[in-house]
Amino acid sequence: MVDTGHASSDNSVIVTKGLTKRYGDVRALSDVTLSISRGVIFGFLGPNGAGKTTAIRILMGFLRASAGSANVLGHDVWSNGVAVRRNVGYLVTADALYPDMAGSAQLDFAARLSGRSPRLRERVREAVELDEASLQRRLGTYSKGMRQKLAIIAALQHDPELLILDEPTDGLDPLIQRNFEALLRELRDRGTTVFMSSHDLAEVERTCERVAVVRRGGLVANETVADLKRRYHQVATVRFAGDVPSGLTAIPDVQLVGREDGVVHLSLGQDVNALLRFLATTDVRDFSLQPPRLQDVFMDFYDTDDIPADRRGAKERPL
Amino acid sequence: MTVALLVGRLLRRGVGGTLALVAGILVFQLLEPLIADSMGGAQGLQSLVETLPPGMQAIARLDPQFVALSGLAGFLSFGYTHPLYLVLISSAMVGFAARSLAGEIDRGTIAVALARPISRRSIYAARVAGLVALSAALSLAGTAGTLIGVLVARPEGELTYAHLVQLTMTAALLAWAIGGLTLWASAGSSTSGRVVGMATAVLVISYFVDYFADVWSVLEPLAPYSLFNYFDPAHALVNGAIRPLDAAVLSLSGLIGVVAGALIFDRRDLPV
Repeated sequence: MVDTGHASSDNSVIVTKGLTKRYGDVRALSDVTLSISRGVIFGFLGPNGAGKTTAIRILMGFLRASAGSANVLGHDVWSNGVAVRRNVGYLVTADALYPDMAGSAQLDFAARLSGRSPRLRERVREAVELDEASLQRRLGTYSKGMRQKLAIIAALQHDPELLILDEPTDGLDPLIQRNFEALLRELRDRGTTVFMSSHDLAEVERTCERVAVVRRGGLVANETVADLKRRYHQVATVRFAGDVPSGLTAIPDVQLVGREDGVVHLSLGQDVNALLRFLATTDVRDFSLQPPRLQDVFMDFYDTDDIPADRRGAKERPL
Repeated sequence: MTVALLVGRLLRRGVGGTLALVAGILVFQLLEPLIADSMGGAQGLQSLVETLPPGMQAIARLDPQFVALSGLAGFLSFGYTHPLYLVLISSAMVGFAARSLAGEIDRGTIAVALARPISRRSIYAARVAGLVALSAALSLAGTAGTLIGVLVARPEGELTYAHLVQLTMTAALLAWAIGGLTLWASAGSSTSGRVVGMATAVLVISYFVDYFADVWSVLEPLAPYSLFNYFDPAHALVNGAIRPLDAAVLSLSGLIGVVAGALIFDRRDLPV
């Protein structure tokens, strides 16, 4: 890809075309084409070994793509990696920090290497709740969670245009996770783009507007979280006062997926009106509607090869 | 500026071990003049060497004629071909070269710099600068030890102090050659243990080839392939000179290692 030296005119911050990484006969990443716009929080999902970290390492210029191209902030990641990294905040793994340095010295060192003032340091430090006294201690005395907090501060402190975060909340407690998510949204609102991988699908669902799902090195989905969930069926659980009435399955776009002692589980599309009209004519004791969760969508990508896309979502529901 | 920052970090990391090796070299070389003095200076040494059977002289690489001709300077140079000195200087150079690239890749700490707007060439240049600084420190430590020992013990015999410059240079060239070649291996590896193993194997073979080539004529043709064949501290300390071939081989060995390592590091995948 041509290195334009500035973000492309369609406002894309990350653009990959046919990105492929091979190790001998093994394809770690296969033909991944992505375009990520400025000012979004983008989730990059997949199980271990799916190719997420390989993709991130290519974007950072640590690995060289076997084929295809990757362009970040208008620069080719391999031939002009220095320009890319000038405006990127990358979260190094917590174990990669220097154990012989104090936390504050580590942050100062990272800021000097970045060549930019750490103007967000205090804001991020507050968000992840790492106290000043801890920053004066050597990293060798830190817990895993504290090292992760320090790595987060080091990645964000210079207020970069793009954040590339691999498992950012790994090792953080739920309260700090929520603070961190709020911080990401705050930065997103100011125009920062966030590209993050995570195993915590609830976190991704809360934080990301768009997600891409990789499987065996290939991209299997790339859309907004809302669109992804919309493609999946909701599950309605209905408890009838008496016998389960016949005719439920005759309702358009409704499927019976489970039945037990007067309780039925129904898979249905986005329109619930037809079902509600039918239920109004019956004696219903209890009714609940569970919207599709990202976790269900995600699990389907990995567990289901043969279920048609329009029927996915119901399979994993507890009956 | 960035390179200086990285060099500072590299040298501070593992500084305890490095200082111990530097101190070890200084103390070891300091002992040589004290030993010389306790044996009655150059003449006493010559008498002592002459009492050894020829086989023992060969194994100990002590030539009475050499001692007779070279005097105190010749005896002091033995401290620089002693296996302990070579082990200390090799350990420091191999350790630094292995730790600073392969070790950092292994631990992932190299990502701290790689994730910043710093070119791989700058990151590599910092390692080379570190090698140069360490070579200088190790060679100067040896010379300082010798000088302090001579000034303190004042052993009988002639020593031209100006020749310590050539001695320092030849020691620095050996350290540079060892460090440069190890950095080459380090640039292509992702585990420091493997690099240390490879470098140690090469150095041990190189040392024994050089050693046995002196006492076993069968191995004599192999001597030019040993790095230690081009390290002649006796010539530096006695004559105040470094043979051009020795200087060329040692400096080029280090340079070839450094350049080859740069080419590898610039292109390789870094799984951090």
